[in-house]
Parts: sequence; C-alpha cells; structure tokens
Amino acid sequence: MPAYAAPLRDMRFVLNEFADIRRLQALPGCAEMQPDLVDPVLEEAAKLCQEVLFPLNRSGDEEGCLIENGVVRTPKGFPEAYAAFRDGGWAALACDPAYGGQGLPKAVSVLFEEMMCSANLSFGMYPGLSHGAYSALSKHGTDELKDRYLPKLVSGEWTGTMCLTEPQCGTDLGLIRTRAEPNGDGSYSITGNKIFISAGEHDLAENILHLVLAKLPDAPPGTRGISLFLVPKFLPTDDGRPGARNALSCTSIEHKMGIKASATCAMSFDGATGWLVGRPHKGLSAMFTMMNAARLSVGVQGLGLAEVSYQNAVSYAKDRLQGRALNGAAEPDKPADPILVHPDVRRMLLTMRAGIEGCRALAMLTAIEQDVATRHPDPAEREAADDYVQLMTPIIKSFLTDMGWEATATGMQVLGGHGYIREWGMEQFVRDARIAQIYEGTNGIQALDLVGRKLGAHGGRYLRRFFHPVLAFIEAKGDDERMAEFILPLGKAFGRLQQCTAEVARRGLGDPFEAGAAASDYLRLFALTALAHTWARMAEVALDRQAGEEAGFYRAKLATARFFMQRLLPETGALSAAIMAGGATMREFEDAAF
Amino acid sequence: MPAEGTTAPRAGETTGAPMVETEARAVSAPAGRAAGGTGRIAKVGVIGAGVMGAGIAAHCANAGVEVVLLDLVAGAAARAVQTMGRADPAPFMHKGAARLITAGDLADGLPLLADCDWIVEAIIERPDSKRALYAQLDAVRRPGSVVSSNTSTIPLAALLEGASENFRRDFLVTHFFNPPRYMRLLEVVTGPDTRPEALATITEFSDRALGKTVIPCKDRPGFIANRIGGMWIQSAINHAQDLRLSIEEADAVMGRPLGIPKTGVFGLLDLVGLDLMPHVASSMKASLPADDAYVLGMRDNALIARLIAEGRTGRKGGKGGFYTRTKDEAGTSLKRAIDLWTGEDRAEEKPVLESLEAGRKDLRKLVAHPDRGGRYARAVLLDTLGYAASLVPEVADDLASVDAAMRLGYNWTYGPFELADRLGPANLASMLREAGRPVPPVLERVGAGSFYREEAGRLQVFGLDGEYRDVSRPEGVLLLADIKRGAKPLARNGAASLWDIGEGVACLEFHTKMNALDPEVMALIGKAVAMGTKGAFRALVIHNEGENFSVGANIGLALFAANIAAWGEIEGLVEAGQKALRALRHAPFPVVGAPSGMALGGGCEVLLHCDAVQAHSETYMGLVEVGVGLIPGWGGCTTMLRRWAEAPRAPKGPMPPVAKAFEMISTAQVAKSAFEAREMLLLRPTDGITMNRDRLLADAKRRALSMVEGYQPPEPKPIRLPGASGRAALRMAVDQQAALGRATPHDIVVCEHLATALTGGKRDHTEETTEEELLRLERQSFMALLKTPATLARVEHMLETGRPLRN
Repeated sequence: MPAYAAPLRDMRFVLNEFADIRRLQALPGCAEMQPDLVDPVLEEAAKLCQEVLFPLNRSGDEEGCLIENGVVRTPKGFPEAYAAFRDGGWAALACDPAYGGQGLPKAVSVLFEEMMCSANLSFGMYPGLSHGAYSALSKHGTDELKDRYLPKLVSGEWTGTMCLTEPQCGTDLGLIRTRAEPNGDGSYSITGNKIFISAGEHDLAENILHLVLAKLPDAPPGTRGISLFLVPKFLPTDDGRPGARNALSCTSIEHKMGIKASATCAMSFDGATGWLVGRPHKGLSAMFTMMNAARLSVGVQGLGLAEVSYQNAVSYAKDRLQGRALNGAAEPDKPADPILVHPDVRRMLLTMRAGIEGCRALAMLTAIEQDVATRHPDPAEREAADDYVQLMTPIIKSFLTDMGWEATATGMQVLGGHGYIREWGMEQFVRDARIAQIYEGTNGIQALDLVGRKLGAHGGRYLRRFFHPVLAFIEAKGDDERMAEFILPLGKAFGRLQQCTAEVARRGLGDPFEAGAAASDYLRLFALTALAHTWARMAEVALDRQAGEEAGFYRAKLATARFFMQRLLPETGALSAAIMAGGATMREFEDAAF
Repeated sequence: MPAEGTTAPRAGETTGAPMVETEARAVSAPAGRAAGGTGRIAKVGVIGAGVMGAGIAAHCANAGVEVVLLDLVAGAAARAVQTMGRADPAPFMHKGAARLITAGDLADGLPLLADCDWIVEAIIERPDSKRALYAQLDAVRRPGSVVSSNTSTIPLAALLEGASENFRRDFLVTHFFNPPRYMRLLEVVTGPDTRPEALATITEFSDRALGKTVIPCKDRPGFIANRIGGMWIQSAINHAQDLRLSIEEADAVMGRPLGIPKTGVFGLLDLVGLDLMPHVASSMKASLPADDAYVLGMRDNALIARLIAEGRTGRKGGKGGFYTRTKDEAGTSLKRAIDLWTGEDRAEEKPVLESLEAGRKDLRKLVAHPDRGGRYARAVLLDTLGYAASLVPEVADDLASVDAAMRLGYNWTYGPFELADRLGPANLASMLREAGRPVPPVLERVGAGSFYREEAGRLQVFGLDGEYRDVSRPEGVLLLADIKRGAKPLARNGAASLWDIGEGVACLEFHTKMNALDPEVMALIGKAVAMGTKGAFRALVIHNEGENFSVGANIGLALFAANIAAWGEIEGLVEAGQKALRALRHAPFPVVGAPSGMALGGGCEVLLHCDAVQAHSETYMGLVEVGVGLIPGWGGCTTMLRRWAEAPRAPKGPMPPVAKAFEMISTAQVAKSAFEAREMLLLRPTDGITMNRDRLLADAKRRALSMVEGYQPPEPKPIRLPGASGRAALRMAVDQQAALGRATPHDIVVCEHLATALTGGKRDHTEETTEEELLRLERQSFMALLKTPATLARVEHMLETGRPLRN
C-alpha cells in the first residue's frame, strides 16, 4: 500500500526561506503570514490529506462514480470526507473574508492544493472547481449575485463547475452552440449540451452552481460573442436554501483512464434559468480570469502526484533488495543490496526530486506574484506582478503537468513490475497525472499561448518581469565563487533562452507556423531556465545554512541543485538546437504520407 | 460658404501632422506647351476670404508669390489671414508666407489686382454675384492675366454669360479641394474660348509651384471627384439605413477594405460637416438630368435633417454629428454613435462582422459574403463603380484621370477603375446584370480584361476605343513606381532596395512597415556605400514613395530586445547604425535625401547625414526621440551640433550650438513643413524644396548629378564643446522648466543624458572632442536611458497608443 506524508519541511523552505516572504507580508491582510500562524494551518491540512483523503484514494479509483437516473454517487467515503473538508472550513481558506472566507494568500493555499493533489486528486477536483466558480463570480458577478451565492461557495455548502466544452468544441470555443434567451425579468433561459463537466453532478453538496458559456440571440460570431451565465442546479429560495429544481440534468458520466472518483459529466440544459455574469459577449474574458488561476492549480496537480510517487519510489528503493552495487556490495550481510545503490535508480529518483522541488519553488514564486497582483496597493506593482503571472501561467500549467507525468511514470519504473500492478498504487498516479496535460487547455495550447499571446504582449513587457530580474541575479552573483557552479550553467541557459526568444519572435512575426512549430520546445526551454534560476537561488540559501541545524536538509538541497545543473539543465542545448532548426520539416511533410 | 471641398486630409487629426496622398499613379494634364508657351505667375489675386479663398491665398504664398486677398466684407480678409496663422492643420508652411499676403476689402481694393497675373474667384456660389464681380475684374485686371473661378457647381458657360471676348479667352475654372495646402487635386475646366496659353500657364504654375496634380475635366456638374464622391456618400448612407447597419459597421466596411480613409462615410460627414449634404444635393439636383442615377437615388433623410436642425453638424460645431463624445460622471470620455434606425445615441461599439474578417485582404471575398457587411459593400460598390464607369466620357476622356481625381480629391487608395480591377471588371459586370442594372459601355468593352495592365514594364490603361495606352506622366516627372515596374533592383533585402534610376544614379528605397528603420535597412545602406565606392553608380538618392519617408527606428524591435535584456545586441545595433550613416556621409560619391511626409527620429538622422537634401514641401522632420524617453543615437546629436556650430549667422563659442541642439531635441520639435525644417537647420539653406511630390525624385536626381563633378566627401572634424560647465548650465535650465511644471520626472532624467551627450561629457571645454567620442557618448546615453523602466513605459505607450507618455 502506498503512503503519503506531506513534505512540510520543503514547503516551509519555499515559503519562508526561498521566497521573499517580506514581499508577501507587506501586502494588505498578509501581515500575519508568519511561521507561527502558517505552520499550524499546514499541519492541519496535512492531517486532513494524510488521514482522511489519502486513504480514499485507491478505493475511490477502484470504485469510481455511478450514475442512476441522473443521480451521481461518488465512491464510498467521499461524502463523509467532503463533510470533514467543509466543516473544517477548508473551502474558505483563500476566500474573501467579506463572504466568510479566511483571506489566506495564494502562497499558502497553493501548498494545501498540492497536498490534496498528492493525497487524492479525484477528491480535490470538487473543491477545485468550486474555487474556480468562486473566482469568476467574485470578479465579474453583480453584488446581488455575489451576496446570494458566494457565501455558499465559501462555506463549501454548495459547489461549482465550469461548463465550457460542448461535443463540437473544446479548444475552439468560438463554435459554442448553447443559447441564452432573455426571459424579460433579468434572467435568461439556457439551452444546450455540455460535456466533460467535472463535478457537474454529485452527492457531496446540496446544490451545484454551474458557470455556463452560452450565446445571446444578438451575439457576434466567434469568441467575441460568448457570454457567461450562472445556472444553479436548484434555484435558491429567498432564505438561501436550495429551492425548485432547475431545468438541467446530468445525462451520463464518462469512463476514463484516471481520476475515476471525479464525476465527469455530460450536462443537458433545457431552458434552465440563469443569470448573466459580467457583460454580454464578454464571457470568455470573464472565464479567462478564472482559467489563469485554474491553470496554475492544474500545474500543481502534476506536482502533487509527482511528490507522492517520489515518496513511494524512494521507500521501495530503500527496501527492495536486488543485485549488488556495481562497485562492490553495499550491504554484504544481506542477500542483496537495496536497489537505491544502482546509479540508474538514483538517476531516476534525483530526476524526480529535482523536478519536484524546483517546480514547487517556481509555483510558490508565481503564487506570491498572484497575491501581489490582486492585493498590492500600487497599480504599477500590481501590473508588474500580473505580467509575471500571465507569462508563467502557461509555463507552470504545461511544464508542471509534463513533469508530473514523467515523474509518476519514472516512479512506477523504480518499482518495476510492482509499479505496473494495482496493488502498490503507483500506476494510479500515472493514470491520474495524464489528464492534467490535457484539460484546462492542452499543453500544446499552453505553448501556443506563450509564443502567440504572451511573448508579444505590450512589446514583450511580460518577458521583462522574468529576464530583467534573472539577469540582475546572474550579474549580482557573478563574482561569488561559491555560486559559480550554479551561475555559469544558469547564464548559459539564459543566453540560449534570450537567443531563442528573439528568434521565435522574429520568425513568428512573418510566419505564425514557425512560432507554432517552436512553441512546445520553447516553453520547455523557458521552464528549464526558470527552474535553473530557482535552483540557483535555493542553492544560495542552502550554502549559508549547510553547516547549521538541519545540515542534512540543506546539503541535500545543494546536491539536488548540482544534479539539476549538471544532469538536467543541459537539455536546454538540445531544445535550443531544435528551435533554431525551424519548422520546415514539419511543414513540408506531405499530409497524404501521414 | 459655398459648398466647397467635400474632403479633408486623411490623417493629421491624430498625429497633429498633416499627411498627403502618396499613391504614385498620379496623372497630370499634358502641359499644353505646344499652344504657345506659358506665362509667368509672380502675383496672384484671390477674391473671397472664406475657407477656400483664404486657403488658396495662403497656399500661393507658400509657393513664394505675392498674393492679394480681398473680401466683400470689410476687414474679413485681414481677419482670415490672422486666423490662418493659428489654424491647425496650418494653411501656411512657414510664418514668412503670411507676410506675402496683402489683405484688403473689395470695396476699395480692386486696384491692388491690377498687376496680378492670376485672379482666383472664390466667392458665394451665385452666378449673378460672380458675373457682377467678373465685370469689375475685367475693368482693373491687366491684359493677358488669367481669371479663374473656384466654383464647384456652376457651369462655366453660365459664368461667362455677357462676359467680354477677352475675358472669355482668359477664363477657366480651377477647382481646389479643402484644405488647399494639403489636397493635391486641382480640377480644371476650360471653355470653348479659353486660350491654350492661359490653361498652360495655370497648369504649369499649379503643378510646379503649388504642387497640384492638374486634372482636366469637362464642364459637368461636380466635375469628376464630387460627382462620383457625392454619389458614393449618398449610396453609402442609403444602403446603411436600408440594410440596418450600425454606423460603426458601415464605416468599417467602407474604410480599410475599400482603401478609403478609415473615417468611412459617417465619420467623413462628421469631419466635413453634415450641413454640406443638402447643399450638394440641391445643386446636383438642379443641374443634373432628372434621370441621372445620382438624382434618382436622392431621398429626404429625416435623420440628417434633424441633426442639422439640432446643430449637430459634425466635429466643427462642437456638438458632434453621427458620432458624439460625452463624459460620464467620473469624467471619462465616452464615444457614442447614433443608431440610424431609431435615431438614438448609444455607446460606440467595435464592429464585428465575418465579412470584415473575410474581406480584409480580398475585396472579392468581401462583396461575396452573405452577411450585411458583404451585402452593404456590394450594394455601394455597384452603385459607385457602375456610376463612375457610366460617366466616361461625360466627365473626362480617360479612366486614369477619374482614378487620379478620386485618389487625390478623396484620399482613396484606389480610384473606381482600380477598384473595379480588384473586383474583376467581368465580375462587376455580371453583378450589375444580376441586380438588373445597366452595364456601362466601357465595362462591357473591357470584357474579361482589366482596366490597367503592365506591358513591357509600362503601366497601361484601357481607352474608350478599346486600346491600351501608356499612362502618361507630365514632362519631367520621375516616379520610382514606374522605374521599379519590370526592373530588378541592384540590391535588395526585406527592408530596403537599391534601384538604378538612370544616368548612373541609384535610389535607395525603404519598404518596411511605415518605413521604420531596422538593422536590415542599415545593412542595405552599408551595402549601397560599398557598391557605390566600387563604382556601381555615381550618386545616390535616398527616397521612397511611402506615405512617410520614415517614422524612425523600429522601436518595437528595440523594446522587445530591451525586455529580454539583450543589451549587447541593442548596443551593437546602435553602433551599426552609426557606422552605416557615417559611411554614407563619408562615401566617395554624393548622397541626396529626398523625403516627403514624416522624417522623424532615425529617419531624420538619415537625412542629416546626406550631402544634400531635396525635400518635398510637405516634409515633417524632427528628432523626436525624447518622446519615447531616448535621445538620438545614430549621430543625430553630433550632426545637429555641427550644423549649429557651422551656421554662418549663429553666435560663436562652444555653448550656443549645444544650447540650440539641446532646445530642439529636448522638446522633440517637429518642423511642420520643409520651410520650417530649414529654419530649424534640419535642412541647410542650400537644401532644395520641391512643391510637387511627383517631381521630387527628378529634382533630387538632378541635384545629385550636379554634385558628381569634383565631389569631395566631408572630412571628420573634432568639435569644441563646453563640457561640465555647459552641462551645469543646461541642468539649470531644465530645473527651471521643472519648477514651472513643464518637465516631468523622467523628462529630467532624459535631459540629463542628452546634456551629457551634447556637452562632451566630462571633458573640459579647452579640449576638442572627436566625432568618435561624441558618438560613443550618444550610444552610452541611449543605452542608459533604454535601461530605465520609465523609458520602456514610454516606448510601450507610444507603440500602443501612438501618443507620448508623460511620465
């Protein structure tokens, strides 16, 4: 049976030691973000995840969800676990105190999110979607809608969904057919079919709030004609209880590779009553504000699964005795050495670890900038932070979920045949991790978002928020001999990234195909360079502390940093060569030959 | 005022700088020299000091001739001259021009006309008033002087009723467009008795001195441009109402896809005044046959009548027209648009039509699109192009004249026959047939062919006789477009080309977006210098036929590079630019710049490095880098210092040139004409000015050839600069401006760096500073500024809004 212990030490490291915690504490409402306040929250969160959610992970996977007459039943134990989640106030963690939230910054909630994803990703889907609905509604809803619905989402009594996809449109939302007709009383009548709706129907909460993209009768064609509507499963009564059943239903749930305990629903809206959220025809941009947050959360799903897989791979590698170390027996008194002694096993484990810890740090940086972007009193600071978030969103979503898939597959590999069978739980992580590369905008779309939208925005201003501080860091540490082993490779990767950025931008101007052909490799090059920056910064922190208390922790940090610089970062050379080679080979391949 | 000039310049309203039409396919009348030579025009009289008369007077003064401006209303002419001194866009090209005008009253001023060579009448559009005036003129004017009317509606024959034999011989119609300085079209109508020499004299003067393209027209109502343009406006209004388009949609469809200024039709009416509409309609109705398609399409428009009654006659009235601007409670400006159907104002909306997307590049796709935008485009084009085709030979004998009139008089990118070619004449004919409309003979006749074609490298136009003929150019006109047709460049890259323009002269052409300068342009300049040094040509002209010579360096490229911290690359580019321009300056052959339109920033610096400049009068030069938080980095500071140091009448000593250059660059002054550029020493006193854009290249080429013999490139010379003490003085001046609230925080930073670059940095004024050192200082200051967030914000703001950021 797999095990999970929340990596609290490393989480505290990224929050308190690696990130600029003072930047967070300077924000309104964040002054108390001190370890003595945050640590107990993280410990409680760890307890919930380890003791309540994780034990349901495998059984939930085996059992899956069931639908009968439009009623969806989640696996055994899920309703009780959700009750514990709700009663513990966890839904309110990062919500606005005005609606009953606890107002914790993203920098803290992102750590809780990671734990939930490690412990039970399927379960995490339900509150995750609710939080997305909360974000969209709190940013774009009228006061009346907010007063009526937000407290219910914050308390966790009701959950939410995002209804975008339809049978004929996934990535290309311009093709949406769901219609919204005004009823004349300020409400709208919504008609259409939606598919792949996570948490669309379940037995965890008494009401479900659907945020639905639909077209008004006078809508312009394409994506500029989409509006966003709030459509509750039960129309609330005046005293805020679920009232009459709305004209919508779940017609089926999907059978899928992973996250089986998450109900993925086909929804039918048959003249359901809804209310406009945001301005007419501006639904996509309203949806995008929550999609950016959601994409960061999906990135963290990859991170969470990689972490739990790593923990189990390590314990297996320490226990499993097979063969002898290549340079002579390590534990001659035993029948064989633990497989941990084998270089390839160490390679696999260190690759996982370097990816996980680097990504955790990168996610933390982005989370803090999200907090700055929403809370800082100075608009210029907010803009700069938002620029950074805009830039890093596709990188986090894509790279962290790729890392999650690669790491869980590697973790499975460490266990050999035992990784492949269900009993050890390792194959479930692989299956669960796979969806994160697909939903919330496929990773290919993320790469296009990076090269197509983010690179050129405001003459490249988003890029400034990464390139200038990283160059400043490289220049500032250039004379520090202790840092040379980290700064030199970072500088090299940075130069490659600069060169490829200029080249991708230049080629993309005249020929969008070229930008598209470079996109995925470019995103990965960017992510590795960003990771190199976080690793160099983490190494700097660790250098000063390796002799003190917890020396082991910091020495391991340094060793992982070295592994990353020497063994993983060189991939940037290959990526840069591939990018510079251009897209001709893809363009010229004859369609008929595929 | 008479219903004059139904258009105004296409741009200028947003940039503050007026622009001129640039299409190179201009056609001018044969100069008619054969008829007996041309007389000289040294003095012009203009009667009527309204918008048109005053504007014509101002423009004649721009051409450097003496002008008498008279008005019936006492003092009106003098007031008009005064008002024009402050008007924007400016009717005068420079302050001195106003002094060439003698303003007077008609009551006692007639004797002032006695020695005028040309008298232009621009009074109220009433035949009796005009005839009465002509009788008075006939009494005072000198024999052989030419009289012309600026009428747009009255037949020439009607004007001449009862006129003397001599008057009839010396009379013609010269129809200017508003504003006369900027609009390049001049429609000319002669009567049966008009002396050929009178026409030749006016044509010659209008072409060379006033810079107009003269199009001979038949004596028909509205001549060419207003006849077709009026029909277009009427059709565009009617169909927009019938097809229930919003005015934003209508303007978007009419604008860019058709090559019409982006004001479209409703925006255009707001610009020229809605009240013009009924005037034009009634005069056309009175003078055209009742079965003319224009007259048949007329209807009483209740909405326009209401707007006029409410005083909403357009932008000039201050109450707006179809579009209005209001402010909400928070004081934010709101743009509103009227609904054609309900007549109510609502918030302006960006039009979204599939046809607009589909038709962005292909006019055929636009008119074939089934949505209301496509149907609208089709309906208006069928009306307008069908009508234009039916008017040949009624209004003009050749198609090229009709196209030129619409390009130059309405700022269309394509005339009606060029638009027909873009649709395909056969396609247009079949659409007309489908709609049950008559197909004009010329359209039948051209059949499956096109109205224009290229034959052996020459542009030819279809004639009424079914033959193609070369599109004629007036004598001495040299167009790069003609040279390029069928020719191969001597050298070329994605940003610039080098052409052989004959007699051993090469022409370097920029062709980037807005002719922004990028590394490729600099590379081609370098290549041209190398080729010329090896003897590939004797002299070089730098010229292009774009709307603007160059709007400056490609700051988008620089911003992107700065954002990814590619500092080494950027500095390399600055240095490469400096090297290329220095090489140009010291090349062993003469280099002549020939700009028209904007020549800003780097574009101005290119010209500062030329041995001579032959500028179109409508050239707007300036070193505007501080607007984006930078300083000139391609030798602009250095060359301006030298200009002022070597100016004959400028005060001597190291400080005055620095102070002059500093004042000009730190305030981003832009010359609003070539004459102003001369006053600012952006042009040298020896640099030439050409009034007619079509003659610019020929003049520049002649200039270049004249310099070949015994050409010696200038030697690099050190310059004595005031150093730290000079910088301190400039600093004090800046502090003063800051104290007065005239300098923003970042202005001060920019000025500091500019002062360093101009004063020679830390050097003492006893030492001389070499050119290399000065260029190094320019580079250093440029790079330092580019690294400041405030400069990056300025660059970004300029790119996104087209306006400077005051931070």
